[in-house]
Amino acid sequence: MTGASGTLERPSLRRRYAARRAERRRSFDRPRFLRVLMAGFLLWTFAPIAIVVLFSFNAGKSLQNLDGFSTRWYSDFFGDEQLRQSLFASLEIALVTMVVATVLGSLLAYGLVRARNRLSPVTNVMMLIPLVVPEIVAGVTALLLFTQLGIQLSVTTIILAHITFSISYVTVIVRGRLVALNREVEEAAMDLGATRLQTLRLVVLPGLWPAILAAGLLTFALSFDDFVLSFFTTGESPQPLPVRIYSSIRFGVTPTINAIGSLMLLVSLSTIALALALPRLLGRRGHTVLIGRDAM
Amino acid sequence: MSERRFASLTLLPGAAWLVLLFLVPLGITLAISFGVTDELGNALYAWHPENYDRVFDPLFAPVLLRSVGYAAATVALCLLIGYPVAYYIARFGGRYKYLLVALVVLPFLVNYLIRVYAWTAILSDEGLVNGVLEDLGLTSDGVRFLNTPWAVIGGLTYGYLAFMILPIYAALDRMNPSLIEAGKDLYATGWQTFRHVTWPATFQGVLAGSVLVFLPAVGDFVSAQLLGGPDTYMVGNLIQQQFFDANNFPFGAALTTVLMAFLLIFMVFYLRSAGRAAAEARA
Repeated sequence: MTGASGTLERPSLRRRYAARRAERRRSFDRPRFLRVLMAGFLLWTFAPIAIVVLFSFNAGKSLQNLDGFSTRWYSDFFGDEQLRQSLFASLEIALVTMVVATVLGSLLAYGLVRARNRLSPVTNVMMLIPLVVPEIVAGVTALLLFTQLGIQLSVTTIILAHITFSISYVTVIVRGRLVALNREVEEAAMDLGATRLQTLRLVVLPGLWPAILAAGLLTFALSFDDFVLSFFTTGESPQPLPVRIYSSIRFGVTPTINAIGSLMLLVSLSTIALALALPRLLGRRGHTVLIGRDAM
Repeated sequence: MSERRFASLTLLPGAAWLVLLFLVPLGITLAISFGVTDELGNALYAWHPENYDRVFDPLFAPVLLRSVGYAAATVALCLLIGYPVAYYIARFGGRYKYLLVALVVLPFLVNYLIRVYAWTAILSDEGLVNGVLEDLGLTSDGVRFLNTPWAVIGGLTYGYLAFMILPIYAALDRMNPSLIEAGKDLYATGWQTFRHVTWPATFQGVLAGSVLVFLPAVGDFVSAQLLGGPDTYMVGNLIQQQFFDANNFPFGAALTTVLMAFLLIFMVFYLRSAGRAAAEARA
């Protein structure tokens, strides 16, 4: 019995090996230089970041030699009253930008998809341009607006500029989701006597939440990291973190920058992780019926 | 209320915001670019088109050309590095595909300033690379990496590479791999298959990536500021100087307007191709 099954298995095994060998040959041609290039690329991209994080825990001031582990650069950062204020300013700017831009951008997305009047193609183009304008142009135009109107530069002007250049990201993301929504559910709600606002609140919004959340968190991360726009629109104090980093880099390299850079990386990573995790967690709560065509 | 009326209402706040804080400032910039400054350095509206003559002055024109040259070199380098990387991920990524895409995006979560700063720390005269070179006994007085055009172009490439990789990856991923097999079946060599099948099929992605890299690279001033010096300054540095050191807002506005006008072709091209792609995706 066992002998028979053994002889039966062997040819099939052999066939499987042959198939695998053929597959390996087909998947080519996988030129070795591509693999080397890929490895080199990863090394090149991650080495500088690894160095920043590594040296943020360096006991010495040197940027060449590691002199043992220490968190002194982190305590330096948190002990510096001005830097702490900068951190809070950055967080405040990113939070306000996130809330306002997400509301305006989501409404705009809804309007663009459903309004279809003469003005919507024009609005659509106007909404897309901020996405491709170089940051320095954005910074100059914002600065000139404020100075020519005699508005004192401050955290508020930074927030206004950040909102302006964040709306489009939200609109594009939310619109992508809105287009995929199942409109029949909305019509059914209206047939059952729901008003426009009720339909928006009870039917459309639940389906859009994942996209709105993701867009909001992306806006937060972009605003928190932004340098150029903040640089052009910031007042004397408090200045957001990236602006402070820029001025201290210009006056020389200090290890505190490594600590700030690592902390900012942590903030961005957590935001993006939230953006990826939240829609999934929310999606489990049973809104799937309303999410529409692409979910079916 | 009809759906259209309701939707027009929801469109209003965002559209008004963009008109007031985006279009109006563009108009102000254009108006100021013809203006003059008073003794206190305040910008005044006037008719002074000489600002534009100055943009093309022999003193400043090389900076404009340099910016375009550096940005073009950056696009070329990004393509040279980005295409093979995208190709590797799309074709041979297997089950690590999404991990590799995440690895491409991850560095872009690190602040651009910090990433450029990391390179100054690595390449400076007392930096890591020179330290290693000295320990190996290859050099005693250090190699100068910073303040060279290559440092600036390298910084730009490092900064914007993901914008090239992602569209090319998307194009390669969409492409039907049996097209490549068909090429092989018809006895094309690897290079011939690439040239006649893969490259044309992904050309739109290459174009999109090139524009996405070119636009921010031309206007960048951080890389030239931190990795370069006055000899490698780009138009972004020139503009920034007008607003922060020279206090000549009208000239800065004229430079910005010229930059914007030059880039307009690329923006229109990109928006049109993006619009077409969106329409195709919807159909």
